[in-house]
Amino acid sequence: MKKKIIFGTLIIVAVAVSVWLIDQNNSTVDFTTQVKPIINKNCITCHGGVKQKGGFSLLFRDEALAKTKSGKYAIVPGDPGNSEMIRRINLSDPEDRMPYKHDPLSKEDIDVLTKWIKEGAPWGEHWAYVPVKEVPVPQPKTFFGLINTKSDWAKKPVDNFIEQKLKEQDLKPSAQADKQTLLRRVSLDLIGMPAPENIATNFLNDNSENAYTNLVDSLLASPHFGEKWTSMWLDLARYADTKGYEADRGRNIWKYRDWLINAFNADMPYDKFLTEQLAGDLLPNPTDNDYIATAFHRNSMTNDEGGTENEEFRTSAVMDRVSTTWQGLMGTTFACVQCHSHPYDPFKHDEYYKFMAFFNNARDEDTEADYPLLRQYGDKDSMDLLRLKNWLAKNVSETKSEEYYTFLKTWQPSINSLQCDEFVNAALVSSWYAGMRNNGSCRLPHVDLENKKELMFRYTASSKNGLWTIHLDSLSGPVLSSVQIAPVKEGWKIATTEIQSTEGAHDLYFTYKNEGLKTPEETGVLFEWFAFTEKFPGKEKPGYDSAYHLFWQLMNAPVSTTPVMYENPTNMHRASYVFERGNWLVKGDKVEPDVPKSLNPFPANAPRNRLGLAMWLTSKQNPLTARTMVNRVWEQLFGTGLAETLEDLGSQGIPPTHPELLDWLSYQFMNDDNWSTKKLIRTIVMSATYQQDSKLTPELEQKDPNNKFYTRGARVRLSAEQVRDQCLCVSGLMSNKMYGPSVYPYQPNGIWLSPWNGDEWKQNTGEDQYRRALYTYWKRSSPYPSMITFDGVAREVCTVRRIRTNTPLQALTTLNDSAYIDIARSFAYRMQKLAGSDVKQQIKTGFQLATYHDIDDKSLHAFLNLYNTALAKFKSAPDKTCEMIGGMNEHTNAETAALSVVANAMLNLDEVVTKN
Amino acid sequence: MTQKELHNQRLVREAEQAVMRMNTRRHFLKESAMGLGALALGSLFGSCGSKASQNSVVFDPAHPLLPKLPPFAGKAKSVIYLHMAGAPSQLELFDYKPELMKMDGQDCPQSLLEGKKFAFIRGVPKMLGPQAKFAQHGQSGAWVSENMPHLSTIVDEISFLKAVTTDQFNHAPAQLMVHTGSARLGRPSLGSWVTYGLGTENQNLPGFVVLTSGGRNPDAGKSVWGSGFLPSVYQGVQCRSEGDPVLFIKDPDGMDRDLRKASIDAINEVNAQEYKEYNDPEILSRISQYEMAYKMQISVPEVMNINNEPQYIHDMYGTKPGEGCFANNVLLARKLVEKGVRFVQLFDWGWDSHGTDASLAIDVGFINKCRSVDKCITALILDLKQRGLLEETLVVWGGEFGRTPMQENREGKKMPYKGRDHHTEAFTIWMAGAGIKKGFSYGETDEIGYSAISGKVEPFDVQATILNQLGFDHEKFTYDFQGRPFRLTDTRGKVISDIIA
Repeated sequence: MKKKIIFGTLIIVAVAVSVWLIDQNNSTVDFTTQVKPIINKNCITCHGGVKQKGGFSLLFRDEALAKTKSGKYAIVPGDPGNSEMIRRINLSDPEDRMPYKHDPLSKEDIDVLTKWIKEGAPWGEHWAYVPVKEVPVPQPKTFFGLINTKSDWAKKPVDNFIEQKLKEQDLKPSAQADKQTLLRRVSLDLIGMPAPENIATNFLNDNSENAYTNLVDSLLASPHFGEKWTSMWLDLARYADTKGYEADRGRNIWKYRDWLINAFNADMPYDKFLTEQLAGDLLPNPTDNDYIATAFHRNSMTNDEGGTENEEFRTSAVMDRVSTTWQGLMGTTFACVQCHSHPYDPFKHDEYYKFMAFFNNARDEDTEADYPLLRQYGDKDSMDLLRLKNWLAKNVSETKSEEYYTFLKTWQPSINSLQCDEFVNAALVSSWYAGMRNNGSCRLPHVDLENKKELMFRYTASSKNGLWTIHLDSLSGPVLSSVQIAPVKEGWKIATTEIQSTEGAHDLYFTYKNEGLKTPEETGVLFEWFAFTEKFPGKEKPGYDSAYHLFWQLMNAPVSTTPVMYENPTNMHRASYVFERGNWLVKGDKVEPDVPKSLNPFPANAPRNRLGLAMWLTSKQNPLTARTMVNRVWEQLFGTGLAETLEDLGSQGIPPTHPELLDWLSYQFMNDDNWSTKKLIRTIVMSATYQQDSKLTPELEQKDPNNKFYTRGARVRLSAEQVRDQCLCVSGLMSNKMYGPSVYPYQPNGIWLSPWNGDEWKQNTGEDQYRRALYTYWKRSSPYPSMITFDGVAREVCTVRRIRTNTPLQALTTLNDSAYIDIARSFAYRMQKLAGSDVKQQIKTGFQLATYHDIDDKSLHAFLNLYNTALAKFKSAPDKTCEMIGGMNEHTNAETAALSVVANAMLNLDEVVTKN
Repeated sequence: MTQKELHNQRLVREAEQAVMRMNTRRHFLKESAMGLGALALGSLFGSCGSKASQNSVVFDPAHPLLPKLPPFAGKAKSVIYLHMAGAPSQLELFDYKPELMKMDGQDCPQSLLEGKKFAFIRGVPKMLGPQAKFAQHGQSGAWVSENMPHLSTIVDEISFLKAVTTDQFNHAPAQLMVHTGSARLGRPSLGSWVTYGLGTENQNLPGFVVLTSGGRNPDAGKSVWGSGFLPSVYQGVQCRSEGDPVLFIKDPDGMDRDLRKASIDAINEVNAQEYKEYNDPEILSRISQYEMAYKMQISVPEVMNINNEPQYIHDMYGTKPGEGCFANNVLLARKLVEKGVRFVQLFDWGWDSHGTDASLAIDVGFINKCRSVDKCITALILDLKQRGLLEETLVVWGGEFGRTPMQENREGKKMPYKGRDHHTEAFTIWMAGAGIKKGFSYGETDEIGYSAISGKVEPFDVQATILNQLGFDHEKFTYDFQGRPFRLTDTRGKVISDIIA
């Protein structure tokens, strides 16, 4: 009997092998999977986007088939015999053989290349650059492929894809994880922390078939859902509460974080989510929220250091936006195209700058104030603003009404004084503001004065009698206006002056006289910005006086501000150029906004601005946007993306383990689910694949060591945010407060010591100490230390993927950081409160709270031992008890101190810091 | 421990490293073999293997800090980098320019200003002669000013680079350039590259330690010791002279060592139970990290405590136990490399001598800064030498750029004190130990110290040289990021072979 089986198996194997061999011989060579890897590994460094040695490049087909410098053709389609490339790779003389000065190619590689040329050297497109198509869900079949069978494991289409690969590998999935494990896993994944008590209890008590479905739906509906997925997005958006660089001063941009939370909670369709972030300001009648969404690209850094070139750092911010858009939203490395064509992927050098041109007309200019800012008024002023808007619409025109509304909301368009140059007895003070001394002068170049009658300017001055004169075209040119500059008591003031009317654009020359200044070195006036406008309209209309009054009241009203995007009006348009070898000072050809030719075409009729760009990016024809998001969501849930290199879906990235599944999910996401992120997440977490047990067996370790085939559930260490949030929840300290300015939980002294910046970490009191990790104030040059230890990132630039490490410093953090000791104490109080005075029961309860599981006897014993050791110590040393509890209060007794030690240990368990 | 024992211990450790390296390789090969197997079957996993192999160093996330051997035998086992943040004036220290004295007080010639951009100088500034007396010292006859009387006595141990240039004239970008090879944020620092490439010799101490003094962090913030795109485990660990020497190293109040031991034992016992159930090797790794954390809690405070040093050492360094001063940090640097720490980086803030106030004046505050570093740096070289460690410890001293031969006239005004603006075209860095020539000077500036005229080097060259002394070819030491292999020296850098013995 046994023999027969072996014999039978042998036959089957033999048939299978020969079928496979025949199949290999008959099939044509595939460029993407067979040829391109050989080229990328062996040829592209010298014959690609960076270098084209011998005039030969293998990046694009037309280049590869062209005549080379030697006059020969490297590739003659259909004729390997006459292809110089084939001749050269076959030579034995290392001086002539290709790859030059490297080991020869293997015989297999040479065969592939030869056969490929023989077949006509067809080019293939890299999978990630081809639009997503509908993919059929694989149906399980018997070995002979004849009968469809129903899988007894697969629950959802995701599972069919996984199962197909498992069968190919002769692997089996693991059983479903137990309820407690599932509860903890899906809670951490969906809301980033343990489920609220009622949701958890409902699930654990619900024995119906729908229990898990209900759990998932409750978590998706929880407001904490948005907080968790915002945490993920903040790394991509390089969100921080400071501007970066030397002094690294603060910036108010937290409303963007809150916008994200709301967007995720409302399940804003992903295409809309991206459009608002890229171009909310360009939508018709943008709301405050539309503007705040655009803070996404205002998270780039601003350099306040004295003496810096503002244009250099403006350019740097624009390039950062390009890089973030590609890396974060399209999983593609585009930064290398700054200096030369992409070495491996089909992007040309000038395409970088065409793409950059979309972002080059944002109004921001590395100003100290981070202009443009959205100005949000208090309730009364908001009503007044609406009144003014309506008055203008009724009495002047809709257009004027919009114009003035926007101006009051943004102070834009205005010209920053850092545009001034040709300073004499004047200077760009701290690289921030044009400042003038007695007999000083400077120039404000190229100002459009068509129809301009008034100049509004924001300034500060300490001394009386300053006279500021504005000349046209030269220092001795006609005077447009002469202004007595009134001193300003504190801060800045906005003033206005009438100007002589003129036509077209001109250079303006400013002079300043003030004999009252004490020394020639004293600066009499600092300007921040200038806005050239028409006169406030509607003079002859009823209610003009109060409208005009209202306008000035609102110009100076107290507001809260957020940096946002604002597009240059036509008369302030910036031209864009190619930078030679990436050097911003060496400008090459002028370019207009465009997208790379190798991807989907720019949508017809779309405007050539950021809004058009967003339309292109969220088009269903864009091959990268949906795949990138799906891959990212998968990575959040499983610890590794379907394509591991989230940052690079290009030909140098690691290809997806399940490309069909990635495409099926992407298609589903864009079409059937109408870009719903919640539905995408739901589709994945409802699968049997996701719900598997994560235990590893020796067999699995051998056959699927990295879980590439999903033979088990994911087992990964929690993220920095999850480590903190979970501890806060388990200990009962977690504050449910959402939104608002960033908070300052406990941080050891002496962490912030930025030069030229006296800002201090002022620890919050009350519940703000115990807010979720994502609300923690994030200083780029000195991020919250315990989160950095757990692989959090500084967020100076877009970070696509955190790399998880395991170090003793992590252990030290959760063991010793006072924040975690505080948490451990509260955890101990909670155990006592819930379990009464029996220590065993307290420990059991604690373990339940931390893991949802019952503790096993050995572990219980280990903690009991620890408790008894601690208890003995504290009983003999009351001062230690007091220290452990952190003072004298109702908890200051040896029992509680000992239980705090146990609580601290419990929160350090592998099972607690890991998602099982 | 005697010198001989220390030496023997190092030999043993090297042998162990070799074995570990073999094992890591084997582990890695096993992994890629799986990839190859998959290639035959699925044909889609093709580039997994080749992808990983492009990073020139094997990275094992479970044991990221295991010691590794460099590609070739380097002279240096460790590096001490002394950075004077703010940029000290070369013209008052090592670059003697009698001609500049003759021009003192004259208007700066237009030829030096045309097409140039300065951080604060505007219009036409005055020239400022050297504000210190110079003399030649040692057999090498090196010129050193009176501001460094102690260092003058050991010039025969040092190679000076007199013609270093940079292209960044602001502190933060220039510091980033020196330490990360890029003026922009986001690249790994020198120390993190080194720890990534070599791991750490002493598992009970961090491999890359940073010590700061002068009351502020360097201008570029913690990014100058950040890990950039390398895994964060390779970032520098800031050791502090106040509070915990390493963040969270101290047991909480009320918990003594025995109790901590008992608690880690309990944690690991429960973890071992979990391992029985889950079999995930990551759990074993966590168990060993907790054991290591416990050991670090002993070894870090021990090494960070200078109280037990003999009096003659304190006299030699001028240390003041209990204060957060540079001298203490210098002594700590010696202790740390002695214990096998790979890279020690010191930042001393306060060298930005613009002349805006007394503390930042070239003739007041600058002299005080010199006094605070001169004696202890000299002691460091002598102390390393007497312990036989100078042969394998590379000491580097410098700032992020130099200072102008002109007196600063911020915004075109006269300044209250004498000061110099930032200058990119010439400054001095020196190196000593670990195969660097003794008593040597390389590179020259013009007669007023404005531009480099021979032996010009840039930060990339200094980085290439440091890596070379550690056993790395800077062009081959790469990490794949954003689709291409990155290296510390980007596309530049040449080993300064003239200063290598």
